[in-house]
Amino acid sequence: MASNVKFAVKKVDFYYGNFKALDQIDMEIAQRQATALIGPSGCGKSTFLRCLNRMNDLIPGTRVEGEILLDGQNIYDSDIDVVNLRRRVGMVFQKPNPFPKTIFENVAYGLRVNGFKNKAALRESVEKSLLKAALWDEVKDRLNNSALGLSGGQQQRLCIARALAVEPDVLLMDEPASALDPIATQKIEDLIHELKNNYTIVIVTHNMQQAARVSDITAFFYMGRVVETGETEALFTRPGLKQTEDYITGRFG
Amino acid sequence: MERQNFHRELENLRLTLYKMAALTRQSFEKATQAYLDRDDDLAQVVIDGDREVNRIELEIDRQSLRLLALEQPMARDLRMIVGIMRISNDLERIADQSVNIAERTIFLCQHPPLEPVAAMGHLIDISKKMFNMAISSMREMDAKEAKKIPPLDDYADEYNMQVLKSLIEVMAASSPGFEKRVLKMRRSIQTIIISRCLERIADLSTNIGEHVAFIAEGVNIKHQQKL
Repeated sequence: MASNVKFAVKKVDFYYGNFKALDQIDMEIAQRQATALIGPSGCGKSTFLRCLNRMNDLIPGTRVEGEILLDGQNIYDSDIDVVNLRRRVGMVFQKPNPFPKTIFENVAYGLRVNGFKNKAALRESVEKSLLKAALWDEVKDRLNNSALGLSGGQQQRLCIARALAVEPDVLLMDEPASALDPIATQKIEDLIHELKNNYTIVIVTHNMQQAARVSDITAFFYMGRVVETGETEALFTRPGLKQTEDYITGRFG
Repeated sequence: MERQNFHRELENLRLTLYKMAALTRQSFEKATQAYLDRDDDLAQVVIDGDREVNRIELEIDRQSLRLLALEQPMARDLRMIVGIMRISNDLERIADQSVNIAERTIFLCQHPPLEPVAAMGHLIDISKKMFNMAISSMREMDAKEAKKIPPLDDYADEYNMQVLKSLIEVMAASSPGFEKRVLKMRRSIQTIIISRCLERIADLSTNIGEHVAFIAEGVNIKHQQKL
């Protein structure tokens, strides 16, 4: 396995009951790069994203076959601590979902759950996370205000700060900007550019221009399969397969 | 998700380019015909027709920029628009070279013909052939056909050199009377300029072939020997 591979996905099938949503997915996800998953609705891209930190385990009647190795270890092995897995592989959702708590407590939440008690260290860590999420300057004077008073874009960056606070290796993003206005979207995209220097990012997006702007690698999903994976620039200027070309040029979908 | 409106507009852009190519072909053919037949009326038709080619070039620029800005095209569509902008630029320059040939022809028509230079006929044939290959490969988006054009450029260069050499000999040959010698030199120089225009048209046809290969395959075949 090449040393820069974060996830090695091997022959993964995924079922919702009898419905096979993913079919023989083989893919490597490079560390400290942004990988975008694109494809029409229902193609399996979000299902695949949720496989990467076993979020699908929470849905009854689902089943995974194959292997997903994170730094060489199969995350579906029986001895894997799923809570620890999700600490290492954080997630940001489509709709910002801050807790009905203060800004500070939102970011501190994961740390407290993980037994972090030292107040000064906690404060330092919250500040660091908010800085990394490019939100610190906007909230530093009102850390004790409710997170629900923030704008949608700020809430989403707060959720990113919350995910970063527990020091993950990987950040999964499921349509992180689709509920945001263009300026807030721009901030999230700039943030992704920053974060990929230190984190492995996997982003699902319906917005192809967004995939083109933020990612290094793009994978095109269609009907539960990976049709084509490649460097983003090549995929959007000179895709290898006609099916990819037809999708990204809007000739089907 | 299907982008029907965008693809209709892209098709319109292609049709506009075809129209420009057809007008440029007419210009070029009439210019060479006027030169060969010493027909100054036909040469004037070429000069008068250039405004329409220029107008279409601006129209293509406008349509292309609009689609790039508003539609954010991807992959083949993106290459198509960028390629069309480049091709229309080269077509416009071919039309300009045709005007240049027509202007020299009008001068030559006012004076007795020079003795014929065989290489000039060959140069007209090869530049026409290259231009026609460029246009047909563009219509069919046929990269294979397009890639056959660049190797022909060496012939065009060679014939241009032969014309130059022949006309230097014509100019060097002594003839009686100062006035006659000056006129012979002027006619020779005008003919050399026409030869140069034809050689440029061959170059520009090569460029169009390269743009077609870029659109069809996404591969840049420009400057391959030089880099």
